[in-house]
Amino acid sequence: MSAVQKARYNFMKDLGAPVLMWLRQMQRKRRPYKPNPYLGPPLKCSGRLKEIMMRHYYLSRFSKGAKPVAWVTSGAPVELLRAFDFYTVYPENHGALCGAQKAGPEICSEAEKKGYHPDLCSYARIDLGHAFSGKTPAGRLPRPDLLFCCDNICQTVLYWYKELAHYWDIPLIIFDTPYNYRDIREKDIEYMTRQFEEMIPQLERISGKKYSHDRFKKIIGIARESASMWGNVLTTMKHRPAPMTIFDAFVHLAPIVSLRGLPVALDYYRLLLNELEERIEKGIGAVKNERKRLMWDNIAVWFNLRDWSLLFAERGMNFVAATYTNAWAETIHYLDDRSPFESMARAYSLVVLNNNLNSRLELMDQMIRDYRVDGLVMLALRSCKPYSVGQYDLRRLLGERLGIKSVVIESDMTDFRAYSEEQTRTRLEAFFEALES
Amino acid sequence: MTRKDYLITQKQKGRHIFGVFPAQYPRELLWAMNVVPAEIWDPPEEITAANAHLQPYICSVVKSGLELVLRGKCDFLDGFLFPHTCDSIQNMASMIYDYIKADKPCYFFYHPKNPYGKAARDYYIEELKNLMHSLERQLGPLKPNALKQRIRQGHKVSSLFGEVYDLMAKGELDVGNEESYRQIRRGEYLFPDDLIPELEGFLARNKGKGRKNLMPVILSGVLPNPPEILTLLDTLGVRVAHDDLLIGSRRLLVPPSNLKDPLEQLAESYFGMPPCSTRGASITKRREYLFRLIDATEAKGVIFNVVKFCEPEWFDVPNLIQEIKKKGLPTLVLDTEVNQGLSGQMKTRVEAFVEMIT
Repeated sequence: MSAVQKARYNFMKDLGAPVLMWLRQMQRKRRPYKPNPYLGPPLKCSGRLKEIMMRHYYLSRFSKGAKPVAWVTSGAPVELLRAFDFYTVYPENHGALCGAQKAGPEICSEAEKKGYHPDLCSYARIDLGHAFSGKTPAGRLPRPDLLFCCDNICQTVLYWYKELAHYWDIPLIIFDTPYNYRDIREKDIEYMTRQFEEMIPQLERISGKKYSHDRFKKIIGIARESASMWGNVLTTMKHRPAPMTIFDAFVHLAPIVSLRGLPVALDYYRLLLNELEERIEKGIGAVKNERKRLMWDNIAVWFNLRDWSLLFAERGMNFVAATYTNAWAETIHYLDDRSPFESMARAYSLVVLNNNLNSRLELMDQMIRDYRVDGLVMLALRSCKPYSVGQYDLRRLLGERLGIKSVVIESDMTDFRAYSEEQTRTRLEAFFEALES
Repeated sequence: MTRKDYLITQKQKGRHIFGVFPAQYPRELLWAMNVVPAEIWDPPEEITAANAHLQPYICSVVKSGLELVLRGKCDFLDGFLFPHTCDSIQNMASMIYDYIKADKPCYFFYHPKNPYGKAARDYYIEELKNLMHSLERQLGPLKPNALKQRIRQGHKVSSLFGEVYDLMAKGELDVGNEESYRQIRRGEYLFPDDLIPELEGFLARNKGKGRKNLMPVILSGVLPNPPEILTLLDTLGVRVAHDDLLIGSRRLLVPPSNLKDPLEQLAESYFGMPPCSTRGASITKRREYLFRLIDATEAKGVIFNVVKFCEPEWFDVPNLIQEIKKKGLPTLVLDTEVNQGLSGQMKTRVEAFVEMIT
C-alpha cells in the first residue's frame, strides 16, 4: 500500500467526504416535500442513508492503493475480510444501483458486445459490462485486489467471479457452502470451518496484514448486532399499519449488505428503528389507508420501485414482508464470537437460498402468519434461478395450506428489456380483483 | 435393445435401477451396490407437464428430466440420485423431493467447487461415505472388495473411452460422428460388465484409417443434442476429432494410482478429471485443456453446442472463443434446446462454418 494513496484516502475520508455530504444536505434542503395522497411521510432517515451510501461509493474511489480492495458477493462472510481491513465493494449492490438509475440495459449491453448471452444474470452482465467499459452511475469503482465469492446465494456468482478473476488476473477466494438438501450436518460445518482456516494465509498475503482473532471476534459481534437490529427494523412491519413498506426496506437494506460488520451500519439501524418505533407510537403508516397486507418473494425490481410502490399504495395495499430482505436477518443470530468460524459457517449456509425448498415453504408459511399477510406477489426473475425455480409449486402449496391469494409476475431486476408493463398490469389487475373478492 | 429394455432386463437380473441426473457422481460406488445408474440428460419427451413447474427460461435438460418424472416414466426405478451441478438442477432435486414427493428414495451428492484445498478433498470423501452408508440402508451392506473391483472397472471403462477418443483424434475410427456418439452415450446406462466387452468389440470392429482425411473439429458444450448435428457433420465430411463435452471427455478418469483406500481412489479420480464449468474450473484451465485437444487432433475449428439457458457453460464461452480465435481457429456457437431437431437456420450456420474451414 502506498503512503501517498493512504494520505489521499484519509484526507478524503476526513475532509472530502464530509464536504460532499454537507453540499448534498444543502441541496436537499432546497427541495420542498410534496405529500403523496396514498403514502405516509417519507422516512427521515432516508437522507442519512443516502449520505452513508454516497460516502461509501465516494471513498471507494480513493481506496485503491490505500487499503486492500475486495469485491464481494452479497451473501459472503465479509466479517473475515474486515479483520484484514479490506475496503469492500458489492457488485450486486452496484447492480441494484444501476438498475434503480435505469442504466441496466446500457451497461449489460457492454457485456453482451463481448459475447455474454442476454439470458445470463443481469447483475453479472452489469458487473462485467462495467469492468469492460468503466460505465457506472456511481462515478468510478476501485479495481479489486481480491474477489471473494460465496455460493450460498447461487452458483452463478461462481461463474461470474471466475470471469472477473480471469479478466483482471487477480486472486479469487471461494467460500463453498454445501446446499442443504435436508438438515445441515456436522461435516458440512467442519468443511466450511476448515475453508476459513485455509483462507487466512491467503488473506494475510493479499492484505499484508496479520490475522487478529480478537479483532475478528469484535467484528463478529458488531455484525451480529447490526443484523439483529435489521431484523428488529423488519419486525416493525408486523404492526398494523406498518410504519414502512418493503419498498423502503429494499432501499434501507444497503448498509446490512454492504457495510455489515462496521459500526456505521449498526448506528444507522438504531436510528432507523427509533424512527419506526416513533411512527408506530404516533400511528403513522407507510401507506395511508392500509387495507391489505402483502408479501414479496424475490429480489426487487429496481428500475420500477417507485411506480410499483404507488401502484399498490393507491389501492391501500402495503408490502409488509419479503423473503429477500429477511435473508440478512434470518440466520445471523447464529453468529457467536465464542466460536466465530463454526457459527459463521452456520449463519451463512442456512440462508434461504442455500436451503431446500421445504424449508422455504415453512419460512414463508410462518412469515405469512406472523405478518398477517393477505396476498403474495412472487416475482419470477430470469436472472435468478435459485430464487425462481420452485416458485410455481410454492404458490400452489401456500394456497392449499393457507388459502392465500397470489400472483407470479415475470421480470428482471435491472434489465427492463425483459419486462412487459402491459402483461404485468394485466396479471396484477386480476390479482387485485381476487384479493378484493 | 433399447435403453428401457436393457434397464428392465437388468432389473430382472436382480439389479437396482437408479435415475441419475447430471452430471458428476461416483458411479463405481453405485455399481458396487449392484445399482445400474441410468443417467437422465435428454429424454425424448415433449415438454408439457414440466411447464407447470418451471419457468420458460429453465434449460431443456432440466425440463425434460422433470417431464420424465411427472409422466410416471420413472416408476420402474428404485431411486434417484441428484448430484449438485447447477442452480436449476439443485432446485429441481429439492422440488422432486420436497414438493412432488417422489415415491422412491432420493439421494443427493454435493461435490465441492473449485479451487480445491485439503478441506474440499476431505469433504468429498465424507460425501462418498455418506452416500455409501445411505445406499447400504436401502440396499444392504456393501460386499467386501466390491468397490475395489468396480473402481478397476471404472478405470477400464475410462481407458476404453480414452482409446475411442484417441482413434477419433487420429481419424482411425471407421464410423461416423453419429455412430461414435451413440456408442459413447451408451456409457450413460450400461452396467460395466456389459459396457466393457461392448466397448472392446466396438474398438476391435472399427479400428481403421478410413476417416483420416476428413476435416477434424472439436465439439464443446454439454451434450451432442440434437443428434442431427452429428449427422449433418457426417454429411459435410467433418469428423468430430475430440470433445470437451460434459457427457464426454470431461468425465474421463485419470489413470489409477497406488492408493489403497478405494474412497481415496475415487476422490483422486474426481479431482483429477478434466476441467469443467460445473465444478468451477478456471478459464485458464479450460483453455489449456481445449488447446491440448486442438493440438493433438490438429482440429480446424471448434463448435460450441451449448444448451440454451445453461449458465455454467454460457459464462465460459466468450473467453474460450476469444482465446481460440487468438490461436487462429474459427469457432461456431450454437444455442440449442435438446430434442428440438435441427432448424433450417442452424443447418445453414453449420454449413457456412464448414465451408469456412474447408
